[in-house]
Amino acid sequence: MAHAATLEIKNLNKQYKVRGESLPVLENISLSIKPGEFVSIVGSSGCGKSTLLKLIIGLEDDYQGELLLDGSRIVGTSLERGIVFQEHRLFPWLTVEQNISIGLLNNTKFSEEEKRKSVQEHIELVGLKDFAGAYPYQLSGGMSQRVAIARALVNRPEVLLLDEPFGALDAFTRAFLQQELQRIWEKEGITMIQVTHDVEEAVYLGDRVVVMQPRPGRIKRIIDVPLPRERNRSSAEFIAIKEEVLREFSHTADASAGLIEKAASNEEYSHSNELSYQA
Amino acid sequence: MNDATRPVVHGLVNSGILQRLFLTLGGFSIRVSHAAVGLILPLGVLGLWQFAVIHEWIAVQLLPPPELVWQSLQDLWESGDLTHHLSVSLSRIGWSVLIGSSIGWLLGFSVALSKTARAYLYPSFEVFSQFPVVGWIPLLIIFLGIDEGLKIAAISIAVVVPVTVATYKGISNIPRNLLEVAQVYRFTRSQVLLRVVLPAALPSLFSGFRQGIMQAWLALVFVELLASSEGVGYLMGYARLLMQLDLVFVGVIVIGVIGVTLDLSLSFLESRLQSWLHTVHGEAK
Repeated sequence: MAHAATLEIKNLNKQYKVRGESLPVLENISLSIKPGEFVSIVGSSGCGKSTLLKLIIGLEDDYQGELLLDGSRIVGTSLERGIVFQEHRLFPWLTVEQNISIGLLNNTKFSEEEKRKSVQEHIELVGLKDFAGAYPYQLSGGMSQRVAIARALVNRPEVLLLDEPFGALDAFTRAFLQQELQRIWEKEGITMIQVTHDVEEAVYLGDRVVVMQPRPGRIKRIIDVPLPRERNRSSAEFIAIKEEVLREFSHTADASAGLIEKAASNEEYSHSNELSYQA
Repeated sequence: MNDATRPVVHGLVNSGILQRLFLTLGGFSIRVSHAAVGLILPLGVLGLWQFAVIHEWIAVQLLPPPELVWQSLQDLWESGDLTHHLSVSLSRIGWSVLIGSSIGWLLGFSVALSKTARAYLYPSFEVFSQFPVVGWIPLLIIFLGIDEGLKIAAISIAVVVPVTVATYKGISNIPRNLLEVAQVYRFTRSQVLLRVVLPAALPSLFSGFRQGIMQAWLALVFVELLASSEGVGYLMGYARLLMQLDLVFVGVIVIGVIGVTLDLSLSFLESRLQSWLHTVHGEAK
């Protein structure tokens, strides 16, 4: 089992330069994530949730404030931090096995034997043993995303970031992969941070749900999900928490807020999981 | 398919061999029928040519009968002259493609990978690429004379342009997403180059190479017509001077046949390469 990390975000601010003017995208984000915790981040488009993940993974490093992993400042990318993107981003010219192995290319901690073992274990972990030799074009969207998860985990990172990983999948595949991800999280025992626009997904998987609001991106509220796993999506407690999260959206002072509120009170809407919010 | 053959066929279909064979044959017959339609026009022209000769619409000195052209082609082949001229032409192509695509790849890679190189080189290259090869020849004659150097240089210029453009575009069109993946797994610069840039850009590199060869073939004939004492283009120019128009037609046919053969074999290789790499840029967005 990999070591799980503590992630400390203190007074994080981030601006983009747009035509000489600085546009704040993240304002005063503070969040402390315990080892082995699963944190869901929800928010409408433009709330900077994907930018936050980009900063944590190290693809961007121009920010103010502090980003600490186990007490040390995050600089650049690292094999300690894994990420799964919304698109699978597999190399089309490599097989499933090769795509997963590529994650280990610059791993100096593992011996060759350990690398080989880790690849095999992770292929099995995501249930793709029979597809090790297949190419991405031969896989379905859900399978490709499972390969991407295996690739992200093959280094046994301390923290795994997930940027709307199931956003592009159909509802059945998504529900199945949510279960799979929960199983993997329990088995690996690592810290996971998932950004999503699917409130049900956020509540189903998260120990806590962080609600963000846009322009500039801020944390609006953090809601605990004190429900035992495996969670029942149709239980009263589950639905109550889901409603609580949704209510946070309807309070967002924005032009389209009224629309969301109307939608949230709509019976039909409460059956659909997706919070499609276009500002 | 009749009922008697059905069980046998089923067995084969299950094994997948026959199914694939049918697909191949089906595709093949469609392609053949397309090709057949395409043959109507040239055969029509050939018929018209024969007709014009029989009715003496144009003097035989100007429009030799098709039989004579065929006869000359055979004579030329048997005497070894045609093979000699062809081998001279093809070796010019070979050298020019080698030199031109090396320069093109070097230029394309540096312009695509380095902002500094792009800033210094690309504007000049864009102006350079606007000149037709013909435009360079007077200048090249001054510096290189009219020997082999001129031909190789002129044809190489024709190769450099498409190879550079395709290489540059191919590399700059590599999905940013894949480069981010490389960054997440801490690829070194050479790993990015070998494991992401090269495989992702390979189809574009090959397609530039193919365009380069075709441009070389077009430039070759021109350069040989202009100043040469050997080669297919020379053969045509010389024959025109002697009013041996049957030989001019032989040249036209040889140039056409070789051009088409080159293009077909290169596009076949290109499609094989693409399916081997499974590189669908749209898919890996």
